[in-house]
Amino acid sequence: MIKKNTVGSGLLLLLIAGAVGYGVGLGLDAVVLKTARPNLVGSIPSAFTLLFAVSAFFFGLYGYRGITRGLVWQVVGTLLGALFVTGIRALMGMSGNELFVARFFFSEPAWVFGALVGVISFISGVGVMDDWMKWARGIDTPDHHEDEPGWQKYFSVSLDHKVIGIQYTVTALVLISVGGLFALIFRTELAASGFQFLNPDPTKFNVFSQTGPQMYNTLMSLHGIIMIISILLGVSGIINYVVPLLVGASDMAFPRMNAFAYWVAVPASVLMLMSLVLGGFDTGWTGYPPLSAKAPVGMQMFFLGVFTAGWSSILGALNVIATVLRMRAKGMTAMRMPIFVWAGIATSIIALTATQLIGLSFQLVMFQRLFGMGFFDPAKGGNPVLFQHLFWFYSHPAVYVFVLPGLGVISELLPVFARKPLFGYRWIAMSSLGIALVGFVVWAHHMFTSGMNEYLRVPFMYSTMLVAVPTGVKFFSWVATLWGGKIETPTPMLFVLGAIFVFLLGGITGPPNAMVAVDLHLHDTYWVVGHFHDTIFGGFVFPFFAAIYYWYPKATGRRMNEFWGKVHFWLMTPSFLTLTFGMMFIGLRGMRRRIADYDPALGFDSAHLILTICAFGIAISVLIFFINFFYSMKKGEMATGNVWNSRSPEWQVPSPMPAHNYEVPFEVVGEPYDYGLAGSKYVEFSASAGKKHH
Amino acid sequence: MTHKQEKSSMLGQGVFIFVYLAVMTLIEFGIALTFNSTTLLVVIALVKAVLVVYYYMHIYELNAEDHDADESSYEYKTATNRLGLWLFLISDSFVFGGLMVMRINLLGLTHPHLNQNLGLFVTAVLLISSFFMNRGETLMKNGDRKGFITNTMITLVLGLFFFLGVVVVEWRGIPAVAEFVLALFGEHGDVVPLTPSSGAPGAAFFMMTGMHAFHVLTGLIFLLIVMNNARKGLYDEKHYPVEAAAVYWHFVDVVWIFFYPALYLIGTIAK
Repeated sequence: MIKKNTVGSGLLLLLIAGAVGYGVGLGLDAVVLKTARPNLVGSIPSAFTLLFAVSAFFFGLYGYRGITRGLVWQVVGTLLGALFVTGIRALMGMSGNELFVARFFFSEPAWVFGALVGVISFISGVGVMDDWMKWARGIDTPDHHEDEPGWQKYFSVSLDHKVIGIQYTVTALVLISVGGLFALIFRTELAASGFQFLNPDPTKFNVFSQTGPQMYNTLMSLHGIIMIISILLGVSGIINYVVPLLVGASDMAFPRMNAFAYWVAVPASVLMLMSLVLGGFDTGWTGYPPLSAKAPVGMQMFFLGVFTAGWSSILGALNVIATVLRMRAKGMTAMRMPIFVWAGIATSIIALTATQLIGLSFQLVMFQRLFGMGFFDPAKGGNPVLFQHLFWFYSHPAVYVFVLPGLGVISELLPVFARKPLFGYRWIAMSSLGIALVGFVVWAHHMFTSGMNEYLRVPFMYSTMLVAVPTGVKFFSWVATLWGGKIETPTPMLFVLGAIFVFLLGGITGPPNAMVAVDLHLHDTYWVVGHFHDTIFGGFVFPFFAAIYYWYPKATGRRMNEFWGKVHFWLMTPSFLTLTFGMMFIGLRGMRRRIADYDPALGFDSAHLILTICAFGIAISVLIFFINFFYSMKKGEMATGNVWNSRSPEWQVPSPMPAHNYEVPFEVVGEPYDYGLAGSKYVEFSASAGKKHH
Repeated sequence: MTHKQEKSSMLGQGVFIFVYLAVMTLIEFGIALTFNSTTLLVVIALVKAVLVVYYYMHIYELNAEDHDADESSYEYKTATNRLGLWLFLISDSFVFGGLMVMRINLLGLTHPHLNQNLGLFVTAVLLISSFFMNRGETLMKNGDRKGFITNTMITLVLGLFFFLGVVVVEWRGIPAVAEFVLALFGEHGDVVPLTPSSGAPGAAFFMMTGMHAFHVLTGLIFLLIVMNNARKGLYDEKHYPVEAAAVYWHFVDVVWIFFYPALYLIGTIAK
């Protein structure tokens, strides 16, 4: 089954099937809808091209199994589901525009039902539910399945947490580049005032049934949500790979559910791309009604995609909590757990519970659109502000889902490279939980200008300020850990230091937004955009890169190129800092968010030009990272030992890790971060450590 | 205590809890029809939920010590599975909590105009089904597979009754049947039927009962699977799937313990 040039045949099939799909789409446009001059870059041909080409690419790459089978089933399921609803509606006596919509071929209910069937078909097709189906029929299955050797195992269902962790991480990187590409497109549009190429005139720009400014809105919204999903996958990636190794488990507590949680995110990503071609949506990633109740059908694909990705997050979090509570090594008491495990637990508590609320809020809008249920429609006794409460109850804590693992990576790596004990271990552990819990009571600070009851403003202002306390604890600990240390600065440490600096900027630009009086002025300006990019880059992106550079040798047995790693850092950091400083600068002077064009009289042209150049700087640095990442897999310097001289258990055994982790179990006999203390020991490997006591 | 005595005391406990639940449901109904105190209704719902969570869902088993510390043993894995299921239920209860927030925000101290007798009837059906589920699970624990199958069958039938009661009658899913049944419950066609698009009360009602009915349906499927496997002679001492299906079924019941007063009893009729 292993072909010589699989990427080549994948690309060839992508072109052929893309052309076929394009033809089918144009044909449907002409024959069924009888359009005189079909739009060559309209939604119908584009949707079919996308569906056909993606499945064909994986067919060439991998053959008809694993991910390919999932994608093919998703395409077939989507079309069958949509046809089913169309048929039902025809039987109900509907005709004409109610059955087939000129711009999108299928009607909205048909697309939504089709997309849902498509997601379920993908999961069945990829084979992640096979064992459960057997159990339901009373057939037992072996605990583990053997994986194929080499790269092949990453494209079909594997139950090994290390494989799943890498699947998550690579998917996250793919989505980061998609989201980044979207950002580059609309950033270029903003480089000067006036419309550059996203033209408002439909005769000059009409791609995927959208005019230029509509396309701007869609790309801006998708940039937000695709980055968020990629961050969630990245978080799951690090946690999945690292946590079982850190606690000494052979796998996650529920390996099948672990695989399910990963694979359900793949059809979710396809739905996100579908929303781009099916008319897009112009609400931003927040999807507030009433606008989201009226946007094109792309809005529904977005809702369904987020809903599906949410399940990935929920089930992943459940698994992490169960693994940490039940599968720790002997002697690993709560206060001897690696600090990253604490961060993973704190993050998982939020993801397990709050995620349901964004799913619910999006479901309610979906049903409002499909069945006319008036949840958020004042004319029917509904309340649009209710949506914002439900939405932000997840979407604010979601920020902590992103940053807590990142902050955990900082605390985990800092003592390794400062060669000193972590300062205030207990305080750090508790501050993660503190941030998670306070995070549940701050959501309405996003709504100071929404027209919610005024008496809610001040309590939410104070609860928001409270977040600074546990966050401050972390900063003091980091500074104290660095103080007087023998600091080494290989690439992972550079990213850790960068993360601390950038997250500090994100942190101190937060309180102005929390103050009601100031926020009324800052709301919806580029100040906010600068603030949250600092927070997310400092809290997630920098630590994510640090984690990849740090644990890459563990996964591959090779290390990434140090020189190009440093180039990546020294190009990305100044570009990024200039970008966010510039955003905050023009934001304070009145540049509004989420607009495709601005008045030249504001004098922001040169500032925007600099911001665009900086954005491309970041893109180039990430491109360098990608090349380094894939090049080093085959050609990187061999690194099978304890590369970073770490005390952590996973580095005490040779890399890469064998399939079922530690061949000899370990027992925790000391404190985890006693770097530089003579005679101190964290773990001891012995055959008798297998029996566990909690 | 001998094995037999223990078994009969477990079954007796199930009966007692059911009687408490039934009496409290009648008190709820009485309060709603007379002086309608929201506080009392909430307190009673909380007490009922605690009873089910403790005595029918055995939440205390989460606290049990591991007798076998070997991670690959059935006992250890079962304890992990138990934790996983409870984590899932915590997650799921946030959906229902969100629906409750939606209902409070949109309807406040009013409730949709619904047939009270029918509401009491379907609630009773679901509570009785929980009683038989508990009985079936207890018998399974004592190795009585046949008793388990019989009781699960009764649970299934009652669950299906509840499901049809909501979807066919309350939703007017099959109008002719709905009108016939409603007439039996003393409805004379003077109430305008709720629809999803008729306004906030209709939207809240259909969304909440719909989400709950979806969970009932999945619970029924789960029960069918374990019953079918038990018939094949699958479970003996290792019957965690039975326990899981039972706990999930009781969870669906707990949700209804809160949704019933929220939709039928609390406050005045919404306009």
